[in-house]
Amino acid sequence: MNPIPESVLNVKGQTRYIDDLPEAKTLLHAAVAASPCARGLLKGVDAGAALALHPSIRIITAADIPGVNQLGTAVADEPLLVAAGSEWGFRGQALALVLADSVSLARRAAGLVTFSFDELEPVLDAREAAAKGLIILSPRTQAMGDTAAAFASCATVISGRVESGGQEHVYLETQAALATPAEGCAMRVISGTQHPTGVQEGIARVLGLPMHLVEVEAPRLGGGFGGKEDQAALWAALACLGARVTGKPVKLVLSRKDDMRMTGKRHPYSSDFRIGVDSGGKILAFEADYYQNSGAICDLSPAILSRTLFHAASAYRIPNLRVTGYMCRTNLPPFTAFRGFGAPQAFFVIEAALDAVSRRTGIDGAKLRRQNLLCDGDSFHFGMPVENCRARLSFDRLVEKVKWESLRRNIDSHNAKDPLVKRGAALMPICFGVSFTKLLMNQGGSLVHVYKDGSILVSTGAVEMGQQVSRKIARVVALAFGVGIERVRVERTTTLTVANTYPTAASTGSDINGMAALAACQEIRARLLVEAATLLGAPAPELSMESGRVMRNGSPTPLSWDELVTRTHEARIDLSAHGFYATPDLVYDMKSERGSPFAYHVYGCAAVTASVDVLRGTWRLDSVSVVHDGGESIDRAVDIGQVEGALAQGLGWALLEDLRFDEKGKLLADTLSTYKVPDFHFMPEKVDVEFLEGFPNHRAVMRSKAIGEPPLVYGIAGYFAVLDAIAAARRTAVGGEGPGLYDIPLTPEKTLDCLMGARP
Amino acid sequence: MNMDSTIEFLANASVIRVEAWPGRPALDFIRGDLGLKGTKEGCREGDCGACAVLVGERLADGGFSYRATPSCLLALGELDGRHLVTIEGLASCNGGLTPVMKALLEENGSQCGFCSPGVVIALTAWLIAGERIDETGAVIAVEGNLCRCTGYGAIRRAAKRLVSDFSGLPAGPMQRLAALEKAGVVPPALAAWVMEEKGAANSDAGMAGGLSGADNGETMVSAGGTDWYVRNPDPVGGYHPFFIGREKAYASIEAAYPGAEARQRGLVIGAAVTVHEFFTSAFVNSIVPGIDSFESQVASSLIRNRATLGGNVCNASPVADLTAILMALDATVVLAGPEGERETPLARLFLGYKKLDLREGEFLARFLVPASRSRFNFEKVSKRRHLDIASANTACAIEVEGEAAAPRVVRAAISAGGMAAVPLRLWKTEAFLAGKIVDAKNVREAAGLAVSETRPMSDVRGSADYRRRLLERLVIAHFIRLFPEAGLAEELFP
Ligand SMILES: Cc1cc2nc3c(=O)[nH]c(=O)nc-3n(C[C@H](O)[C@H](O)[C@H](O)COP(=O)(O)OP(=O)(O)OC[C@H]3O[C@@H](n4cnc5c(N)ncnc54)[C@H](O)[C@@H]3O)c2cc1C
Ligand code: FES
Ligand code: FES
Repeated sequence: MNPIPESVLNVKGQTRYIDDLPEAKTLLHAAVAASPCARGLLKGVDAGAALALHPSIRIITAADIPGVNQLGTAVADEPLLVAAGSEWGFRGQALALVLADSVSLARRAAGLVTFSFDELEPVLDAREAAAKGLIILSPRTQAMGDTAAAFASCATVISGRVESGGQEHVYLETQAALATPAEGCAMRVISGTQHPTGVQEGIARVLGLPMHLVEVEAPRLGGGFGGKEDQAALWAALACLGARVTGKPVKLVLSRKDDMRMTGKRHPYSSDFRIGVDSGGKILAFEADYYQNSGAICDLSPAILSRTLFHAASAYRIPNLRVTGYMCRTNLPPFTAFRGFGAPQAFFVIEAALDAVSRRTGIDGAKLRRQNLLCDGDSFHFGMPVENCRARLSFDRLVEKVKWESLRRNIDSHNAKDPLVKRGAALMPICFGVSFTKLLMNQGGSLVHVYKDGSILVSTGAVEMGQQVSRKIARVVALAFGVGIERVRVERTTTLTVANTYPTAASTGSDINGMAALAACQEIRARLLVEAATLLGAPAPELSMESGRVMRNGSPTPLSWDELVTRTHEARIDLSAHGFYATPDLVYDMKSERGSPFAYHVYGCAAVTASVDVLRGTWRLDSVSVVHDGGESIDRAVDIGQVEGALAQGLGWALLEDLRFDEKGKLLADTLSTYKVPDFHFMPEKVDVEFLEGFPNHRAVMRSKAIGEPPLVYGIAGYFAVLDAIAAARRTAVGGEGPGLYDIPLTPEKTLDCLMGARP
Repeated sequence: MNMDSTIEFLANASVIRVEAWPGRPALDFIRGDLGLKGTKEGCREGDCGACAVLVGERLADGGFSYRATPSCLLALGELDGRHLVTIEGLASCNGGLTPVMKALLEENGSQCGFCSPGVVIALTAWLIAGERIDETGAVIAVEGNLCRCTGYGAIRRAAKRLVSDFSGLPAGPMQRLAALEKAGVVPPALAAWVMEEKGAANSDAGMAGGLSGADNGETMVSAGGTDWYVRNPDPVGGYHPFFIGREKAYASIEAAYPGAEARQRGLVIGAAVTVHEFFTSAFVNSIVPGIDSFESQVASSLIRNRATLGGNVCNASPVADLTAILMALDATVVLAGPEGERETPLARLFLGYKKLDLREGEFLARFLVPASRSRFNFEKVSKRRHLDIASANTACAIEVEGEAAAPRVVRAAISAGGMAAVPLRLWKTEAFLAGKIVDAKNVREAAGLAVSETRPMSDVRGSADYRRRLLERLVIAHFIRLFPEAGLAEELFP
């Protein structure tokens, strides 16, 4: 594997994240004074004690905002700072900005700012919010066929309830921004964001500036996972506000605790389902209501809900389907994008429904799932035809790979013998649509320079946050020019080089930006080949570039890359180009809820095995096997890293990460000592990831497939593996297998309760 | 009020001499004053390992150690007389890429890279210590490093590669260090520092007068700091830290009577003995055979290298693991104060929630742990199996007589943590068990009785009901583990 220079800097500790950048002498450090309860009416800010701490301290409130005090895009419900006389919507919402000479002073001073306010009754539960009519925008329904009629003809109909908890991103680098006032009233900002243009827009609005006066640069991020998509704008805008008011550079880096209590997380969902099958287990009808706990601010909730609805049927053919989603406004932090973006919640509901069917009818879970898998010729419930479907392919390959039948038999015979440790297994397919569900966002630009020494610089809208998109783009560019990857440098994203970008998210980072880079490369390449044709006296169509050399009909010519570049420049030909890409063929009509919103789907299948300690109520993951449809990979090592990383987050969400709030809306798990994410020991030693080989994807760059989000969903199989082991224990312990409620995460507490019959 | 003192140490290859308040977190000094930004802050509470650095110590016995230490929990003053090695120090090796870095790089073990310096530090410390150069040893070395990107697979593969590259390291510490220097794992500054003629930075002075001796401001015991800095992430002075770990008198484990067999007479364990030293001590394992098997249930290797027994007790958490263990071992504490020393049973030290029977100027100097013929077990359940605080824990020491299939209890000592405002000894359960045969009926009854002795609370780590259920099961678990021949599992869980 050929490491790119950026990873070399990483392991040497030389990567500069925002908080590592050199500090100007005049730099001020910022901290945020936040709301002390879940819902309140702000009457006034008392900064006396904070100001008395040190002469360098400044307190900035909503009254200091020169432009519009609003960051919300879909709905105008996100003030930068809550103004006196207005309500705040969650505990930890920004009310005032505190500046000081040092971080320590700023944070201590922020703790001393007090507020006068009326405390108001909060609503925390999504269903309660829905009952009270606290719904953002309006409910949304997608349907196909006639569920009522279909249910009437089903042999088995089961209803149930499904809960899934929120999830904190825990990017290791917390949210950060550094704002520097520039000439005139311009502002230069370095922001830890997945969406530089979004940050630029937000800052322009709150400072009352045109976008061309705001320059936003996104350096390499210490993790994002969706948490720095919409949620980064606030911190960058606050830093800019501080810089504007004081005329000095301002840095805002959230402490871990502030980051955990003030920023958004994955949406908790509470859902009801009703599923009907015929006597052989064929799904005839499915209905679900998803109550999305959207938190206090709309944020990206509508787009996330739409992904939930699009994935309601997972990889299954369901002829009659009706699903409705509600965005419920509560007084919790603004739930936001998190890898998977509403899809995992939907997958969990349909898998729970199938689990219930399998238990009720006694039809083996794997058989039940397989017979209902999608095939080419089917269509998704929103009318998109199913094409190049690899659901069965990956399913069958996985069953073969893990020897599912004998695996099940081994587990059963183990369970018959061992009273204290029960084992379980589960298997699940995925089918994940790739593209932003908001059509407009499926576009991206790039800027490519070939310098006269033959080195290449690429700028795109893709923010590097560890997903190694820059490595993929570098590979695409290197291949386009037929040079080694070490010739290519992928520059950090800034709004100066590429404008009007959309977030690096929805797994589309390399699809869209790789294509945009390729478009620019192709332009430059064509110019180079014309020059080469002149130099070699050969027709251009016979020429290509490979291994740092111009080739003629596949054989090397004396003309090297370096020389060609020099000569082309000397001929006064432009060695730079801007590229642009808009994902083709996407159509969707929101009114009829019909269309083809995705460029393609990613398929795959995972099997997880787990053991439950019957005595102590703890579980451990024994193995994970995945067969994944990744198209033709641009970089297999990167893809494996993405699958393994997503898997860990998915398993963490399903089993471990317990985002708890108290009855007043205070986040209880607000530190890494109380909010546990997967550690080394949590992950099973045996994680086996196989890619389907020989199945190129003609709808993305270099026949690859997006990789970021889909594998996260496999984590759900971890939940069902543990549940399977619990069921084995319950058969003897409390009679009946349960559960009456499917509830993520399946913590040791819930496990023991299940084992002892303390929950259904 | 000037609380500064002179602190002098070697940072990578540069001598640092500063006048500073010794209680300041080392992380801030490293990133701020030294400008070494490769050391990252991910949590400031010991839970992520991004801030790990190597701290070199010359030991009193002439040996040395370089341990991976979370610098967010480390007092600057603890660096005095020691050698700080950061990622920049390692990157100064020939060519800039050490074999540890290379392994991580080539296995693609660094995605966003924020965790990478800490991982490199932890794996480097593991090679220097050379205790367990196998995959398990490597995983233990990095168990305190969180990575949110890779899912650990690539880091595991990198560790495997190191295991095969470095399995033949010399056994002698100095030779091993030389070999690692030759292989470019560490820069020459380490061996050079170890061989300086300066000796250990520890003292034999003790603290005879208790803690009240200071003339300005309060003196406070600073042990591992793994609890203190979590509660005080940004301390601003106002006390003199007394670095108890530097005092030989409080940092060693000895047999109670010189010359006598530890197994018969028991041990004297200094309050500043670390959790790792405790579990791996030959003395301790001789009086409690197999106690080392419980080490991995406590915190992470990074924390266990720093956390002390005294700190575990004095932080007075009702769910501290070492407290539960020492209570079941019937430990007595020796408290040193202005009026000299006094002894009290550990179980009596806890007066109320986070309230200890410590008088003005007193501190915990030592534990006395008697020898016994008991069998010992420790049970702990937490949300995450490793590196997590227990929802409930319990330790148990039971002496029995008679045949293995139906032994009779002579004496039982059982502790329970997380079950009340203070750590508990389950006196009634112990009394019930005395003289009873170990069978399913008695065990079930004991477990029920144990629960009745507790008053747990609900919090983020578990509801009160859960804790009761859990304790019941953990008491049963003690017996199933300790008396495998008694057939309890089959009878209780048919
Ligand atoms: C990431 C992490 C994981 C952890 N996991 C666990 C775990 O699994 N189990 C567990 O039990 N604990 C755990 N802890 C808590 C902590 O590490 C332990 O309680 C540790 O033993 C505390 O010891 P210390 O020496 O670091 O204490 P310090 O932080 O140095 O001291 C704690 C307090 O006790 C006082 N003190 C210390 N020693 C003495 C003395 N000899 N006399 C008088 N006062 C004294 C100090 O002044 C201070 O107020 C964890 C902590 C962290 C950061
Ligand atoms: S910053 Fe996380 S362990 Fe120190
Ligand atoms: S690489 Fe991002 S946290 Fe480890």
